[in-house]
Amino acid sequence: MSNEVLRGNFETRDKVEIKQSEETLEDRFEMEAKKRLGGSIAFVSKKKVMWDTDKK
Amino acid sequence: MAKILLINPTVREEDVPRHVPYGIALLAAIAMEKGHQVQVYDENAWRQGDEVTKAVCVADDWDIIGYGGITTTYGSVKRIAKIAKRYAPQAVQVMGGGLLTSMPREMMSWLPEVDVGCVGEGFITFPEICEMVDRGGREFWDIKGTVSRKPGGGLIMSQIRPLLHDLDSLPFPAWELFPLEEVYFKNSQVLFSEEGMLASRRLDINASYGCSLICRFCYHLGIAGDMRYVEDENGEMNVAFDQPGTYTRSIRYHSPEYVGALVKHAHDKFNVNFIGFLDENLMTMDKFSGRTWMNDICKQWHDLGFAPKANDDGTWTGIHWAGTSHATLCTKEVLTTMREAGCSHLVYGYESFAPHVLKTIGKGATRESNLRSFFWTLEAGIRPVPNQIIGFPNEDFESIRMNMHAWDDLGIQVKPHFATPYPGSEWFTTYRERINGQYDGDLERFILDLGDASSISAVISHNFNAVELLGLREAMLQLNYRRIDEYEQIWRRNHQIPDGAPSTLLSENMTGAFLRDADKVKNAIKDSERQDAVVETANAGSTH
Ligand code: B12
Ligand code: SF4
Repeated sequence: MSNEVLRGNFETRDKVEIKQSEETLEDRFEMEAKKRLGGSIAFVSKKKVMWDTDKK
Repeated sequence: MAKILLINPTVREEDVPRHVPYGIALLAAIAMEKGHQVQVYDENAWRQGDEVTKAVCVADDWDIIGYGGITTTYGSVKRIAKIAKRYAPQAVQVMGGGLLTSMPREMMSWLPEVDVGCVGEGFITFPEICEMVDRGGREFWDIKGTVSRKPGGGLIMSQIRPLLHDLDSLPFPAWELFPLEEVYFKNSQVLFSEEGMLASRRLDINASYGCSLICRFCYHLGIAGDMRYVEDENGEMNVAFDQPGTYTRSIRYHSPEYVGALVKHAHDKFNVNFIGFLDENLMTMDKFSGRTWMNDICKQWHDLGFAPKANDDGTWTGIHWAGTSHATLCTKEVLTTMREAGCSHLVYGYESFAPHVLKTIGKGATRESNLRSFFWTLEAGIRPVPNQIIGFPNEDFESIRMNMHAWDDLGIQVKPHFATPYPGSEWFTTYRERINGQYDGDLERFILDLGDASSISAVISHNFNAVELLGLREAMLQLNYRRIDEYEQIWRRNHQIPDGAPSTLLSENMTGAFLRDADKVKNAIKDSERQDAVVETANAGSTH
């Protein structure tokens, strides 16, 4: 783990470091909650499948 | 040698960063191979705001600052360009990727900070730009595949950059320059399958470029033979992509041996336990290769000992993987082979289960092939990820109900995307005026508005407006047929369409135009069956 954000094949004149903040419970909650709201949600609930390939 | 800073712009801020930018990682590797001094700042991964972007711009005396990505990075790119100009005015700013490629002239005029744009593939163009900057040259118009500024004002598009044939000559992406441990591995999980859910060290690879189909909402970044240069209405050279009646493709793939060696590198150096294939459509390549490519990749997986083996405690060793399939081009056999080599899930752009909609979108899939592939995939033990889209030009109440019935019958849980005319797609060209109209003639506002297609931006449906589509999607998600029936009555009254008549306002002319190209799609599917196919098939007027 490193706090240096510049990665490359030589040493830069200045280093750019960031403080990696520890994830708080609030951060975690907000991230988990957002995951449920946004994006493309698509999955198959296998229990519900009731088609028969042979019929096709 | 040139001192190069590559910045990966921020994308999809509503989610955590999940994908190392493959293109930038390859360009970094190529530039280092050529002997340049390269640093990467992954703004998307670190998400530290403008202060840190500013700090990286002043951290050294950069000769070049390069950035780019997909269309939805535009907001971030605009900020980066301004910061870089202010804090590293000496650096030549190079922009590339699908964003620049889809509208090079507009981008160069909206972003005056950019000195040179890389139109299309960057594998040769980018190192040539670096080499020119390094020797003090600024005549970018001498380099193929660029758009740059004329000394007296105006833009110059140089000649088109031919695509690289020998893909295996590429180095492996410079994954080590990205915060894998700090950011990406923490976000390895892909919630599309059990194995994806348990992925803890995932990297993505891109084994092929292009797709033989012509879905009218799709864009291939100008790196799939999909881009032509034509004179525009002002008599200036400009890019052109799929247009009704004109489709070009050049399908290319890495050898299975390169893919195997790349996965071994990812395993040995980064200890990965999951690989995501970024390829647009694995099946188009498999069919094109005469059904050898996927088989041989799977064989690599077995030979290298990566095919997963179950442990007694329910866990497994090996490397699972996932990718994108196609309803008509997949076979039962290849799916079984893929499962045996560790494939856990496959994304299918089913888009719709309504035959009259499927006929107009250029996918070469039918309701039957959608259903068939769905069951074949499940039977093979792979989870299909059945993507859906609503709001197509001829979407109507009938197609909406057909989709709802299919979801209900198949157990599909899905929040459909909205059909979105991203720049570079055929429907962007077809509907450009309509899009402009929805943004008061300000196209840049449309670009800034683009994000995930699960949000609504420009509407291309002839039958429904944005608010209707949002409401209809909500009712669809709840399988609420009653509300849909009720709203159909209101809609028919508003548009004076009697009961029993098709619920559509799309002119027959327009439907006819979409259907006329259906034979091109059939040819695309048929052509990709040729056993003796040569890989390079760019050929105006026919798809491959
Ligand atoms: C990874 C990926 C993503 C990632 C982005 C990760 C990232 N930071 O790049 C995520 C998951 C966020 C994503 C999201 C979406 N994506 Co996406 N995605 C891809 C995918 C699978 C791989 C991209 C890739 O690495 N390609 C391979 C590399 C080699 O190509 P490249 O990056 O373009 O780089 C080359 C050139 O473009 C150029 N280049 C690129 N950058 C730079 C920079 C410089 C300085 C230079 C000189 C050159 C250069 O040189 C490289 C070598 O030739 C592609 C499909 C594909 N196989 O390309 C789709 C693709 C890019 N996505 C697409 C779409 C439609 C989307 C979504 C809109 C879909 C949706 N669900 O709504 C969303 C947008 C979400 C949002 N809110 O922004 C479309 C095109 C979009 C567009 N108009 O740009 C693609 C092509 C898929 C498709 N065929 O439909 N996507
Ligand atoms: S099949 Fe997929 S990658 Fe190919 S054109 Fe259609 S949407 Fe694009």
